[in-house]
Amino acid sequence: MTGWIQALGGFLGRSAETTGYGLVLLARTILSLPHLFSRRRLRDCLDLCFTYCLGSFTVTAVVALFTGMILALNGGDSLASLGQENLIGRIVAISMIREMGPFMTALILTASLGSGIAAEIGTMRVSEEIDALRIMSISPIRFLVLPRLVALTLITPVMTIFAGFIGILGASIVAANNFGVTWIAFSNDALENLSTGDVYIGLIKSVVFGITIATVGATQGLLTKGGATGVGEAARRAVVITFLLVIIQGYYLSWVYLA
Amino acid sequence: MILLENLTKILGGKAILNGLDLQIATGETLVLLGRSGTGKSVTLRHIVGLMTPDSGRVEVLGKEISGHSEEELKFVRSKVGYLFQDGALLNWLTVEENVALPLKEFGKTPTSEINDRVQEVLKEVELDFHGDKFPSEISGGMRKRAGLARALISRPEIVLHDEPTSGLDPISSSIINGLVNRLKSSGITQVLVTHDMHSAFEVADRIALLHEGKIRSLGNVEEIRNSADEAVQQFLDGKIKGPLTQGAIDGVCDSEENGNEAT
Ligand SMILES: Nc1ncnc2c1ncn2[C@@H]1O[C@H](COP(=O)(O)OP(=O)(O)O)[C@@H](O)[C@H]1O
Ligand SMILES: [Mg+2]
Repeated sequence: MTGWIQALGGFLGRSAETTGYGLVLLARTILSLPHLFSRRRLRDCLDLCFTYCLGSFTVTAVVALFTGMILALNGGDSLASLGQENLIGRIVAISMIREMGPFMTALILTASLGSGIAAEIGTMRVSEEIDALRIMSISPIRFLVLPRLVALTLITPVMTIFAGFIGILGASIVAANNFGVTWIAFSNDALENLSTGDVYIGLIKSVVFGITIATVGATQGLLTKGGATGVGEAARRAVVITFLLVIIQGYYLSWVYLA
Repeated sequence: MILLENLTKILGGKAILNGLDLQIATGETLVLLGRSGTGKSVTLRHIVGLMTPDSGRVEVLGKEISGHSEEELKFVRSKVGYLFQDGALLNWLTVEENVALPLKEFGKTPTSEINDRVQEVLKEVELDFHGDKFPSEISGGMRKRAGLARALISRPEIVLHDEPTSGLDPISSSIINGLVNRLKSSGITQVLVTHDMHSAFEVADRIALLHEGKIRSLGNVEEIRNSADEAVQQFLDGKIKGPLTQGAIDGVCDSEENGNEAT
């Protein structure tokens, strides 16, 4: 019994420590933003944006397409029983832009890029590359964390918008094929009922998610201990923690928006 | 030049350094011996402020450095080159780019000058034909030499080597020993951590044996060879029984495991 309590205490203590470390890391990265405007950092950052987009493009497209199709199938089914299938457009558009798009994109980017950042920085930690940077008086925050954080903050909204489009496209195909809603009717209903607020909240979420993915990935990477096993563990933790944070942040941002 | 005074460092609940005293004079090459996991790397890390002692003093080039911020450590670090165990090269940069990194990041040196300097140090470590390769495309020994080239590019006054010859074939080891001796003759102060007795005798001015967080024995090559200290003789002969392995065979297996993790 006491062993159990001690373990819980230890876990909470470590979580608090990691959270503190992550917040300080984020603050220091934001403070180092002016250093982004050197030719080398800007180039690193653009390279990363490009790599990140390329690396997550296909999976985002496929997942978004099917998410839209699933939403349309389920929504259409319920609406058809009420004879209201012409409302599919708004249902899909609103949920895709406001909730599912940002959420789903965040999950994909966490699994592909967040874990990658943790593994990459974690490997550098255990092979003493981070120490080597410090000895050369190159700040790992400016050199590694800053370009990754900025790149993810930029590409998460871009991928989210892309996912939204593809999702709505998928939904319109299902609406037309399965429920006989024409493409015009579908898009009119979608556009008429989608407010700029919906678009904004979707984008705000995606920016917050992007910052979270990069910060958690970098934190876990920098805190990596103990060789190759440690690197795997860092990547796993980055994914789990980011998932939890994304879903909680998503709820509260929607709550604030709808209040 | 380098002064370690009564250093204590507790890691993972164990006093890894426990009142360590060591002085290294300007231009001297000191070899630090010790079993795996005795804290040799930890000692080197203290010299460049990668670790701060729990108590004691670290003085480098006449400056007290323990407890200073990264910003304040810049001066000392600019004078120190550090060769990490596996070179610690960035894997997305070529050998040349890795070696040029310390100069490029600060943007004060003109590019043509950087390129000349890179070629010069690569030649020094006999890697001038491999500059365009990535770290994954060269052997472990070459990675170490590339790490050394990077350490040398900013013309350090002190070079710290962490196991420069471990895992290398005898010929690669000889190349490294030759390099260390050349740095020595150009007046650079060096601390070299190794298990490789051949290499130690070839390069050392003085040899120190680290055991239980302290310097157990210290002397020049002759003194260490003829040392009356059983621990030194045990280390030189690689005997299983002796002061370094108190606590019988269990202790041996135990510390070997630790060693793998630590190195
Ligand atoms: N950052 C650290 N955290 C906890 N323990 C450490 C750390 N660094 C080293 N140690 C421990 O200190 C001991 C000495 O390590 P090290 O100096 O790397 O040994 P070696 O003499 O083989 O170079 C080892 O037992 C290692 O596990
Ligand atoms: Mg070591």
